[in-house]
Amino acid sequence: MTAFLALLRRDLKVASRNAIPLLMATLTQPILVVLVFGNILPRLHLVAAEFRTVMVPGLMSITMLMAGVQGVLMPLTVDLSGSREVDERLLAPISVLGVALEKVTAGAIHAAVAGLVALPAMMLLMHRVTGVEVHPRWVALLPLVILCGLLSAAFGLTIGSQVQPRFSGLLFAVILGPMMLFGCAYYPWSGLSVIGPLQYVFLLNPLVFMSESMRLAVTPDVAHMPAPLLLVGTLGFAVLFTLLGARSFERRTVL
Amino acid sequence: MSAALSVEGLVKTYPGTRKTPAVEAVRGVSFEVAPGEFFGLLGPNGAGKSTTLGCITTLVRPTAGRVAVDGIDVVRRPREAKRRIAVVPQTRNLDRDVTVREVLTFHAAYFGLPRAERESRADRLLAEMQLTEKAAAKPLSLSGGLQQRLLIARALMHDPKVLLLDEPTIGLDPQARRMLWETLRRLHEGGLTLIMTTHYMEEADRLCQRLAIIDHGKILQLDTPAALKKALPGGRILDLWVRSAAPVGPRLEALPGVLRLEKVTTEGRDDSFERLRLFVDPKDGLLDRVLQAVQAGEADLQHVSLTQPSLEDVYIHLTGKELRE
Ligand SMILES: Nc1ncnc2c1ncn2[C@@H]1O[C@H](COP(=O)(O)OP(=O)(O)OP(=O)(O)O)[C@@H](O)[C@H]1O
Ligand SMILES: [Mg+2]
Repeated sequence: MTAFLALLRRDLKVASRNAIPLLMATLTQPILVVLVFGNILPRLHLVAAEFRTVMVPGLMSITMLMAGVQGVLMPLTVDLSGSREVDERLLAPISVLGVALEKVTAGAIHAAVAGLVALPAMMLLMHRVTGVEVHPRWVALLPLVILCGLLSAAFGLTIGSQVQPRFSGLLFAVILGPMMLFGCAYYPWSGLSVIGPLQYVFLLNPLVFMSESMRLAVTPDVAHMPAPLLLVGTLGFAVLFTLLGARSFERRTVL
Repeated sequence: MSAALSVEGLVKTYPGTRKTPAVEAVRGVSFEVAPGEFFGLLGPNGAGKSTTLGCITTLVRPTAGRVAVDGIDVVRRPREAKRRIAVVPQTRNLDRDVTVREVLTFHAAYFGLPRAERESRADRLLAEMQLTEKAAAKPLSLSGGLQQRLLIARALMHDPKVLLLDEPTIGLDPQARRMLWETLRRLHEGGLTLIMTTHYMEEADRLCQRLAIIDHGKILQLDTPAALKKALPGGRILDLWVRSAAPVGPRLEALPGVLRLEKVTTEGRDDSFERLRLFVDPKDGLLDRVLQAVQAGEADLQHVSLTQPSLEDVYIHLTGKELRE
């Protein structure tokens, strides 16, 4: 446990030194999307005003997914690079599983912070147009943000320790891109009943549960998935990816 | 139980993939290192040195065999074993995101040292390794020699019982290398158990009390440097670079005073000269006889040298390969 906390402290210290570039990397996208779809287009009456309300929790979940994946993927690439910085960690008195869980924890904190910073930034940018129904319920928001952060970071560990670093560009295009479009970020899951049973296929996408969790936490007026389903889904995916990620991390590091 | 390190019947086969066959990197290696001993693993590229060290340090999972550090099985009780060992790896894996000083203090924190002790040990080791001036620099901005010293300082932060060094002087200039030797000697005198891999003969000869010469995953010979040298046939070595249509080897081998002849493969030479190495008893007229035999065989002679056997010759004798430096 000492080694776990010490590793975590090191990661948070390094991340906090790079806070500005890290936040810029994760916040640019949601802020720009909000500017266009939440501010400009509604004024031009090209999108319905409600779209903004639906979109804010979705953008939060996308921000967290990206931050969590990057928060694990970038350090992991360095760790597993030719110089194998990870070996120093593996030589600390901690199990390989412990090292993997620390990575997930650090990534989750990164993701949670990104999500919590993105929310007020988006609210600020949309404020000029009236009729935005964003009312964060903090009691629900904090634990859900942490849970979604864990899911994102565990997902990052799973893909990061399975995909060769040189393919990480491809990974964003081929895996994360579709995940975001079909992740119920821009539309509530309940609305998908119009496409019939296909609606349930969307549940294979972990981002759906994250978007719906945020919907529950910040836009109570928009319909969201039943809370138990949403919790089971988020938690289940978080556990699944942590296990998968830890296993492939061990395969990559202990020869 | 008294050994600082014991390796018994160690085997490591890296599993193959669809495109690559499995590699038997270590094929039954056994040795023991006594507390306070300076032990060397000497071998060419790909001999299995790093893999052996990896098995000792838990970074490589052994296929078979047993490794114990200070009586603790490294596979069954890895965390306890890891507290007792420190590693200076072949590829420098310094934490590039923190300062030189933080490399040391964070490392100590991973091992649970209290803050005051982390700071005082870091100060002491920075001074000892002459890195105090660089304390605030980033590790990758240091020269190779300084990075190597920082790796040693980092390894010593948690007060290990056994220090493992994987080719620690590779890529260092002669001065930095000498300085590193001094450091290692000082640590040895201080009672630390050291295990070093190298393919520099001179280094092994100077530093190591006992040496295992390893090739193709097996220990070929294990002894003190002096005993290894003594085991060579004859008292001297005569090296000849010759080129001839018909082989002159058999003629030379038959001469009185020539105890043994070996051909040495020299990588990277594209002329047609071959290197013959004669283990000789330097009796009267030996050189004359050898030169006559070469002439009689109508061979071109490019170069001759008569030397005292060194550890390098032991190495060539055992592996049939020359080390290029
Ligand atoms: N991860 C791996 N997967 C497959 N084969 C490997 C792996 N690591 C090493 N090998 C192979 O195992 C053999 C022994 O390698 P090892 O690194 O132990 O040699 P070494 O003695 O340290 O050599 P060097 O002097 O080059 O460092 C080599 O043939 C190498 O190609
Ligand atoms: Mg090696």
